[in-house]
Formats: sequence, C-alpha cells, structure tokens
Amino acid sequence: MAEIQLRNLSKRWGAFVGVENFDLTIADKEFLVLLGPSGCGKTTTMRMIAGLEDATEGDILVDGNRVNELEPKDRDVAMVFQSYALYPNMNVYENIRFPLKVRGIDPATHDEKVRRASAMVELDDFLHRKPAELSGGQRQRVALARAIVREPNVFLMDEPLSNLDAKLRVSTRAQIKNLSHELAVTTIYVTHDQIEAMTLADRVVIMKQGVVQQVGTPVDIYDKPANAFVASFIGSPAMNLIDGEIKDGVFTAQNTTVSGLNAPDGPVTLGFRAEDANVTENGQSGEINAPIYTLELLGDSTMVSVRIGGQLVSVKADKTFRSEIDDKVSLHIHTEHCHLFDAKTGARLGE
Amino acid sequence: MASRAQRMPKSLRIASSLFVLFWFILAAFPFAWTVWGSFKVELDFFSIADWTNAITGERTQAVYGSSFTDTGYAGAWIQEEFWRNVLNTGIVCFFVVTISLTIGTLGGYALSRSTYNYTFWLLITALIFRAMPPITLVAGYLLPFFEWNVWGILPTTIIVLVAINQPFTLWMLHSFFKNIPSELDESAKVDGCNQFQAFRRVIIPVMWPGVITTGLFSFLLAYNDFAVGAMLLSESNRTMVPAIAAFLGTTQTEGNVMFAVAAVVSATVPLFILVMFFQRQIVGGLTAGAVKG
Repeated sequence: MAEIQLRNLSKRWGAFVGVENFDLTIADKEFLVLLGPSGCGKTTTMRMIAGLEDATEGDILVDGNRVNELEPKDRDVAMVFQSYALYPNMNVYENIRFPLKVRGIDPATHDEKVRRASAMVELDDFLHRKPAELSGGQRQRVALARAIVREPNVFLMDEPLSNLDAKLRVSTRAQIKNLSHELAVTTIYVTHDQIEAMTLADRVVIMKQGVVQQVGTPVDIYDKPANAFVASFIGSPAMNLIDGEIKDGVFTAQNTTVSGLNAPDGPVTLGFRAEDANVTENGQSGEINAPIYTLELLGDSTMVSVRIGGQLVSVKADKTFRSEIDDKVSLHIHTEHCHLFDAKTGARLGE
Repeated sequence: MASRAQRMPKSLRIASSLFVLFWFILAAFPFAWTVWGSFKVELDFFSIADWTNAITGERTQAVYGSSFTDTGYAGAWIQEEFWRNVLNTGIVCFFVVTISLTIGTLGGYALSRSTYNYTFWLLITALIFRAMPPITLVAGYLLPFFEWNVWGILPTTIIVLVAINQPFTLWMLHSFFKNIPSELDESAKVDGCNQFQAFRRVIIPVMWPGVITTGLFSFLLAYNDFAVGAMLLSESNRTMVPAIAAFLGTTQTEGNVMFAVAAVVSATVPLFILVMFFQRQIVGGLTAGAVKG
C-alpha cells in the first residue's frame, strides 16, 4: 500500500538543473515509467525517491508522510540497479537473503521467503553459485529476487534491462510485467527505451532536460503527443515531422502540399505516423511527391523513406511493394491523423 | 602446445634463459653469501689473507673444530638479547599495521565516495608528505619529544611511523575503493543498511585483497624502518634494524660483526616466509587496479 506524491521536486547541482519542478501523484499499485533520453533527469528523480540523492527543493510523500529526511533503509523501497549491484562475495542465496538479514527479520522465516522469491524468478537451480558464475540475465533475476524478497511498498527499477541482449530483453520484460501484476506493488521504472515504456506502463512520464514533457497512458502519449519532442521520441519508427508553412488551411513544404488542416496561418510542424500514410497506386498524386531515399524490408511491411527539407519521412507500404532508390514515389497522408505543432515551441496545436 | 609460429627461435630462448639465470644469481648471491658466512667466525667471513676462507671456513675449523659454528647466533640472541629487539619490532609492526589500516580504510573509503573537490587536494597533500624523506619529519619531532619526555619509547615511534605511512595507505586504499562501484553501497543502503553497515558488510568483504596488500606494505615499512627507530628509540627499546646497525658500530670485539650478520639473517627469514605465504594476495592486489575485475 503506497501512494507516492512528488510535490514540486527539483534537483540542482550549482547552476546545472537535474530535475525541475516535478509534480506528480503516483497511485497505489501503479506501474509508472519514467522515459527520456540519457541525462533527462529520470534516474535522478528515482534516486531522490529512493533517498540516494537529496532533493534541492520540494517534498516526497509516501502515503501522505514526508520522507525527505529519511534514510533509504527507512523508506521501505527496493531497488534494482542497472548494473545489478550484486554482492560478489555472497552466493545467490545469500544475496537474496541479505535484505532480510540486515533488517533483523525473524531468521526462521528466511529460508521460506528466499525460496519463494527465487522460485518467482526461476533461480532455484543457481542458489549456490556466486554472481560471477551467472549470465547477465541470471544476475538480473537475482537482483529482482533480492528486491521482492522482503515485500516492499515501492519498487524502483533503474534501466534493469539495458545490459541484456535483445532477445533476453523481450523475455525478461514479459517476466517483469507478469511479476508486477502478481505482486501488485507500486513500481517506478526508469528507461530510455520507448518500447519498454509502452509495453510495461500504466502511465508514462516523458522527460527532457529535467522537465516533464507529458504524463499519460501509453495510448494517450502515442495518439496525442503533447509536443514535437514527445512525438519524435515515441513510436517505432518515430513520428514523421515536417517543418513548413500553413496558409488558409493548406500546409506546404518542399515537395509537400497537405490541404484540409484546421490551424491559423504561419510556420508549423506537421507530424504523422508511418502507418497513417500509404503509397498511392496507379499514378494517383498524393500529398508528398519525392524520390525514394531508402527502402527497408521489415517482413510484414516495407518502409519507404523520402527526404523532406533534410528530415527523413517514413511511410509503411505493403510488403509486396517494390521499387528502386531515386524512383519517384507519391505518398498519401491521412489528414484526419495529422498532428500540428508550433514551429518554435514545439507545443501541440488545436484540440 | 604452442604452434610453430608462436614459438621463439632457439637462440632467443637460450639467451633469455641465460639472462634470467644471470639475474637470479645477481639477486640471490648476496643473501646466500650472508647466510653461508653467518655460520663462520669473523676472520673467515672478512678474511684479508684469502677470500676463499669464507667458503671453506679454515679459521672456524681451527677455533671450533668444525667449519660451521652457531656462535654468531648464540651471541646475538642470547648474549645481546636480540629477541628483545625482535619483540619490539613485532609490537611496532602490529600497531603500525593495525592503526594504518583502520585509518586508511575509513579515510580511503570516505575520500573515494566524497563528491567534494577538496578530496583531490587532500590526496595531493598526502602525496607531498609521502614524497618527503622520513628523516626530515623525525628531525623536527626530536625537540618536542624530549621536552614532553616521550622520547625513546615505542608508542612515540609507532605514532611517527603511522604518520609517515598514512599517505601511502590512504592513496592505495583510495584507489582500491574507487574500483568498487558505488552502486554496491547504494544497493546495500536500500536493502536496509546504514552507512557503516554498508561499509562493513558489503564493501570490506570485497576489499580484502586490497586491505591485505596495503597491510603488507605497511608492515614492510615498519619492519624495515631505520631512520625513525634509530633516532627516536632508546637503546633498551630498539627495534631489529637499528639494533643490527648498533652491532656493526662497535668493532672492538671479535664477535660483534658476526652478531650483526647472524641478526640480519634472522631478520630476513620471516620476510621470505611472509612474502611466499601472501604472494597470491600481493600480486592480485598490485594488479587489481590495472585490470577491471
């Protein structure tokens, strides 16, 4: 049971701003993902919640109690580190047992708790190995087991998957999702990988240079990015962004004319996703007419890219689509799925 | 088996083997010569007539009826009570190592985890003190020690040796601690340790090789110290090395130089045993900083 409130939380080192005015309430049992490029302050935010970093300003409340002055050990949080931070001199069993031991929990219950935690992450066969004798994925699971063994109120995970290879990352991701469902504990998860954020989160917080850009469910963030930065960060491939000019509802840029848009005249950035456009057939003329820059076969589809004003614009075409680089192609954009952003601030325009 | 391409040419192999052999003899000869000579009388070991007497022991044969004698050892250990000096060295070494390591691990850990700029200057200051010859410090200490009436006793020497040794232990342990990721401390803290528990239960077990290596170097410094012991200890409280020097200093009687030789051999043997016993830790500790573990 833990609801976490962050009230105007800030972290500065001299003139450098780590986190600026972070204000959020994280509901009990919520899975919250902090997402952003490296150096955006997401890990700093997590470390402030853990108590490993002092907040310069603002309050951290757990269940309504201010915890700013509490030591990490008194905050009842468990953390999984990017480097796993396993104790190299102890075997797996002792690693998992360590939190129980230092917290003075009744030794008679240790064995049962350790075995239950290790069973949850499928580590039963490795309990007597030292961390050095384990693979990356196994070490990661030891770190998870060590976090869950004492049933904390809050889980903190700092890029737990980024040291794993791609295949293992997918399976461990699924395991974490399942585990969090089973344990039903408030979880804060830091990552720079937007796919992890989309798949795991109840809510996603996107940060850039210490400032929160948008908070919302994965669907919200995907469908209605609050600004051009969020749009360019979420999705694979990221949203296409074209800088141009709008006049009487008609957007124009190099090789591009999109009509039927509802926005005041002036410079804007037009955004649309690769799946919200298609390659026209039978020589029909679409909104974009340009030579193909590159073609990528993805198996289930073909990604066709053109360059508009230095920006790469990708469109998903049928998997049978074949053409050559530099061939002229015409692309049709579904105007109802277009997003418009302010050319200067990047903020979303309209509704 | 090494492949043909990797094998060295025969001439090079012979040359390198010869060089190693030469170097070995060069390094081991003085000690072997001293050990052999310590069982002779002075007129053999320092023979002016014929240097081969030192090997054959002609005079020793004439005096004691055998080409080996233990009179040097008996004189040093029993007559001159060299065991007292051994005991003093033992006390000095024990306390120097214990105090140096206690301050060094705590200080080195604090410096390695500190985020302030002054830690750099602290370490540089320590390095400057380390670079100074110990004798410069001792000269300055002499007068106050006389005035406070603490000259000539072991605790004074221990404190001075710790002071001289501390910059080195601090540097060495600092770099060992730097190699331990701070996530390990943080993980321990989140798991329920306070700062000191994290240090004792998580960091120190990982640090053992570094602590042993540093402790060994502190031990050797205290064991081999001459300048401090010779200046600061009264005759009755001498440690081994100043005592050996004192044996050499009085050449009026025949036995004394041989006492010194016997004492030198006695003082060296424990070092051999120690280094052989700890050789794995020493090598591991020395290279721990170079290669990421």
